Amino acid sequence: MNNKIALFSFISREIQRFTRVYVQSLFSPWINAVLYIFIFGYVVGSRIDSIAGIKYIAFVLPGILMMNIISASFQQTAFSLYFKRFAKYIEEYLVAPLSNFELLTGHIIGGVTRALFVGTGIYVIAILFHAASIVHPLWFFFYSVTVSIIFALVGVFIGLWADNFEQLNILTTFIIMPFTYLGGMFNSVSMLPEKIQWFMKVNPFFYFVDGLRFSMTGVQESNMIAGIGIITFCILGLGGLVWYLFKIGWRIRG
Amino acid sequence: MNALEIKNFTKKYENFVAVDNLSLEIKKGEFFGFLGANGAGKTTTIHCITGINTITDGSIKVFGIDVDKEYKKARTKVGLSPQEFNIDIFLTIEKILWYNGGLFNMKKEEREKRIEELLKILELETHRKKQFRQLSGGLKRRVMLARALMHDPDLLILDEPTAGVDVELRHELWEYLKKINAAGKTILLTSHYLEEVELLCNRIAIIDNGKIIAVGDKSEFVKDGKSLEKKYLELTQKTKSS
Repeated sequence: MNNKIALFSFISREIQRFTRVYVQSLFSPWINAVLYIFIFGYVVGSRIDSIAGIKYIAFVLPGILMMNIISASFQQTAFSLYFKRFAKYIEEYLVAPLSNFELLTGHIIGGVTRALFVGTGIYVIAILFHAASIVHPLWFFFYSVTVSIIFALVGVFIGLWADNFEQLNILTTFIIMPFTYLGGMFNSVSMLPEKIQWFMKVNPFFYFVDGLRFSMTGVQESNMIAGIGIITFCILGLGGLVWYLFKIGWRIRG
Repeated sequence: MNALEIKNFTKKYENFVAVDNLSLEIKKGEFFGFLGANGAGKTTTIHCITGINTITDGSIKVFGIDVDKEYKKARTKVGLSPQEFNIDIFLTIEKILWYNGGLFNMKKEEREKRIEELLKILELETHRKKQFRQLSGGLKRRVMLARALMHDPDLLILDEPTAGVDVELRHELWEYLKKINAAGKTILLTSHYLEEVELLCNRIAIIDNGKIIAVGDKSEFVKDGKSLEKKYLELTQKTKSS
C-alpha cells in the first residue's frame, strides 16, 4: 500500500506543530545564539588571541550550532510524542493506515526538520556577525543531519517513556547540556589539565561538536573515524530500540 | 459478507482478562448496538478492531480483512468516533479534517471536497476556522463524527457519540445516522442511552465482564412490551447473581 500522502501529511503536521509556537521553537534558540555569539565571540573572544589557530568565535560557533541542533531535534520528537500520548490524540495516528516504521520515520523527519530550521537561522545570524564559514559543506551537512537523527531518536524514546513534564526535561538538564558544555563547546582538549583530558575523549558529544567544527573551520582534534563510528552506532542502536518499542506498542498501544 | 467478524477474541492486560473469548458477527448494512456497563469490555473491543490496542488471542476481520495481518487495508475500512476527545485541541476544525484525510491517503482535491461536504452536512461551516478547544460540547461531538467520516469508511464505529449532547442535537445526529445507514454504511454503536439504541439499531449485543451474554435482533430484546432498558437490566443482573 502506497502511503506517501499519509507520511507527507504526518510530517507536515509535525512541522505545523513547531511553527505554530515559533517564538518558543525558533526565536528562542536564535536569540540565545545571538547572545552566545556576542558574549563569547566578541566580549570574551576579543581578549583571546586564538584557539587551535582560529579565532575564538570561529571555534565556539560550531559548539553553539550543535547544541541548538541537538536541543531542537530532541525537543521536537520528545514533546510531540509526549503530548500525543498525554492528550490521547496518538490514537488518531494508531487508527490510520500507517506502519510503525512510518510513524517513527514521520517523527524523525519532524525532528530533523526543526533542527535544520534552527541551525539555518543560527548560521544566518553568524553570517551577519561575520562569524560563519564552511570549509567542508558535505561534512557540515553530514554532521548536522546525523546528529539531529540521533537526538530525534532519543526524543522519541523519552516521549514514550515520560509520565510527566518533569521527566521530559531530565535528559536536557542532566545529559544534553552538561555533556555538550563539557564536550569542547568552549575549549579545546589541550586547554584541559592532562589528567582529565580522557573525560572529553570518552564523551560522545565531543565527537559531534568537533566533527561540525572540522566541517566549518578545517580544525579537528578528535579521531574522525571514531566519530563516524559513534554516530553510526548511535543511529543503529537507538533506531533499533525505538522501532522495537513502536512494534510492541510500548506505552502507546494497550 | 460480514462487515465485522470477531472469532474467539481475548484481550488481557497482564493478569486481567478484559475481553474473554468473544465471538460476534455484524452483517454489512446493519446498525448494531453494543451494550454494556462501564468496564464491561466495549471500548477494549473497539480499540482492538481499530488498532489502538493489540489483540491477545483470536481474530478480528473487517469486510474479510484481518485487522492484525492486513492492518493497513483494514483501517481504511473503519472510521472511529471515540468516547473521549482524542484530538489536538489547538487545531481548527478544517485542519483537523485536512490532516486526518491526509493520514488516510486522500488527495488534496478529494480532501477539499469531502471537508466541504461534511461541514455542510454536520452544520459546522460557520465554525470551520475555530480551534477545537473553542467549541461547545455538542459541536465537539460533531467534529469527532466528521473526522470519523472523513475517509468515507464502510464501517463506522461510534463509541458514546451523543454523550454530553443536548436533546435537539441528539435528534439531529440520529436522523443523520439513520440516513447514512440507509445509504449502506454499517454502524456499530455503543451508548448508555438505551432509548437511542432502541430507536436506531436493528441488532444488539450485550457484553458483561468481557463476555457476550446476549445477542440478537432488537425485536427479541423488546418483545412482550418490555423496554430495552428493562431487558438489559434483567440480563446483566442475572449474570451478576450467577
